[in-house]
Amino acid sequence: MQTRRQHPLSRILFWILVVAIFIYLMFPFYWALISALKPHAELIRTPATYWPENITFVNFAAVFQNQAFMRGLLNSLIVAGSTTALSLVVGSFAGFALGKLRFRGRGASMYLILAMTMFPQIAVLSGLYAVIRVLELSAIASMILSYMIFTLPFTVWVLTAFFRGLPTSLLQAAQVDGANMMQTFWKVLLPLSAPALVTTGLLAFIQAWNEYLFALTFTSIEPSARTVPVAIALFSGQLQRQEPFGEIMAAAIVVTIPLIALVLIFQNRIVEGLTAGAVKG
Amino acid sequence: MRSGHKNRSGSLSKLARREERSALLMLLPSFLIILVLAIYPLSRVFYSSFTNERFAGGASAQTSFIGFQNYRQLLSMTIRALPPAVDADGDVRTDADGNTVYMNPRIFLRTLDTGLAYDSVATFGLFGNRYVLGATSATFIRAIWDTLVFTVSSVTLETLLGMIIALVLVSNFRGRGVMRAAMLVPWAIITVVSARIWEWMLQPTRAGFFNTLLSDLGLSDGNFAFFQTAALQIPSMVMIDVWKTTPFMALLILAGLTTIPSELYEAAEVDGAGKIRRFFSITLPLLVPTLAVALIFRTLDALRVFDLFQVVLGDARNSMASFAYYQLINARNVGMSSASSVVIFLIIFIFALFYIRALGVNRNAD
Repeated sequence: MQTRRQHPLSRILFWILVVAIFIYLMFPFYWALISALKPHAELIRTPATYWPENITFVNFAAVFQNQAFMRGLLNSLIVAGSTTALSLVVGSFAGFALGKLRFRGRGASMYLILAMTMFPQIAVLSGLYAVIRVLELSAIASMILSYMIFTLPFTVWVLTAFFRGLPTSLLQAAQVDGANMMQTFWKVLLPLSAPALVTTGLLAFIQAWNEYLFALTFTSIEPSARTVPVAIALFSGQLQRQEPFGEIMAAAIVVTIPLIALVLIFQNRIVEGLTAGAVKG
Repeated sequence: MRSGHKNRSGSLSKLARREERSALLMLLPSFLIILVLAIYPLSRVFYSSFTNERFAGGASAQTSFIGFQNYRQLLSMTIRALPPAVDADGDVRTDADGNTVYMNPRIFLRTLDTGLAYDSVATFGLFGNRYVLGATSATFIRAIWDTLVFTVSSVTLETLLGMIIALVLVSNFRGRGVMRAAMLVPWAIITVVSARIWEWMLQPTRAGFFNTLLSDLGLSDGNFAFFQTAALQIPSMVMIDVWKTTPFMALLILAGLTTIPSELYEAAEVDGAGKIRRFFSITLPLLVPTLAVALIFRTLDALRVFDLFQVVLGDARNSMASFAYYQLINARNVGMSSASSVVIFLIIFIFALFYIRALGVNRNAD
């Protein structure tokens, strides 16, 4: 609505604004990339160079040889993957019940689950630590379980909205055919919900991949279970011992590129999922 | 409780009861998880906030109930007029400009006979007098204040910037898809990673981007210590947080903008309303529900900020959450950490209630 018949000057201003926003969003990523590609001497030189004069891949090579970091990648994949899978299973049950079934206490259940999204993680930290010690869980298992505190409410919320949108006639037809509730859920509704599962799964995965507070606390006595965020926060270099920023930037690029690829492939779904709650109210 | 169902015909009631049973069965795993991960830990945190529980190195130390002592230790505050500094002859000292020199606030607070060990949080002047705000846990009070300042500044800036970006992106132009993809980049980057990237850009020498840029522009000698200078610490945190979270804000606002019917704008244009008028009479009022949700999400998120503060500033300057973390992990003081967690929980709860009241969000919930 704004582009038709515009004054050339305001068009130029508009494009300047677009380019400025683009640079603002992308610049830190660009700076991390060129810093990772600089040799150490150039990296610590003052003033900094806006463009690398000599390109080297030693930082990337060092990152891939860094045991702690590679271990972190594996741990993060295990933790985020398992949390996502668990949340989807548990969340789709709850979403189906809340979205399609009639029972007393439905509103209260919805509120209880939603209240969890407002929950500050720090408020349960010491209590959760006690639970974990009693159950004698490993750090990996503790993270998988505890991450559901933030992935589950969101998953339930989005899937409830999705199931509610499916026609009830599907449900009735299945019941007329003699299917019980579980069969209806597994055979009829779940296959239809694949797109919603992909969206919520992605968002849950990214949240879990990102988590730092629980990971830092639970792995403090078990360093081999550290995930990527903890590994990067406590990064100790292969090449330089004091704050090896070249390697840290290379590690930052390595963990960010797959995530950005994932986000770009699924960008429409992600935007849909992120804004689902907000726009409908 | 069951009478409502009994009154109906038998078969319907049976069906309804079956539906109800399936529903509860399907909700059971979620409830169990909520119980184990939220309700039990929260009650335990609440309980241990009234004890002197500690992580013991091996043998478990005995824990006992100490009432409100942790809270008193965390929240006791006092405001006192600061006496002028006196030299050896008993005269009030003045500086070169003739202003009164006041006593060192920390030393002054230590001389008070209150039975509580106050430390100085801040000093301020009022009606020509100098006052000091003392607290038994100055670090915690400062953490609360810093977190509030951080939250208000970053949420305000994010909303304004997010609004600008959304208003640009809502118009149809070539490259809109690229821009929308670019918006997801800061959102997708791990918070810890973005903290470290910005930590590197904000290095205190010209090895960092910002110091190089500022000195190239002739604005400084290129030695701004962003993280070591107390006055620059919180603004730096805000700057990093705004970059990371503005895209989320912009996406929500953009989604809200696209639901506004274009006929409204056309009608307003016919009526001769200018761009600014249209923004304030159409866009903004219709965006209120979207903005309300976005503000709640972001405010509650900013109040519990941890990653950014802990990675960049460590224990040098705390957010509320990093204070509770260091009490638990470094000081191994479970009771104190729990008490601070309860205070944080209450602060966040008050914000949530205030928002829900002020913005009338609950009318949308079903």
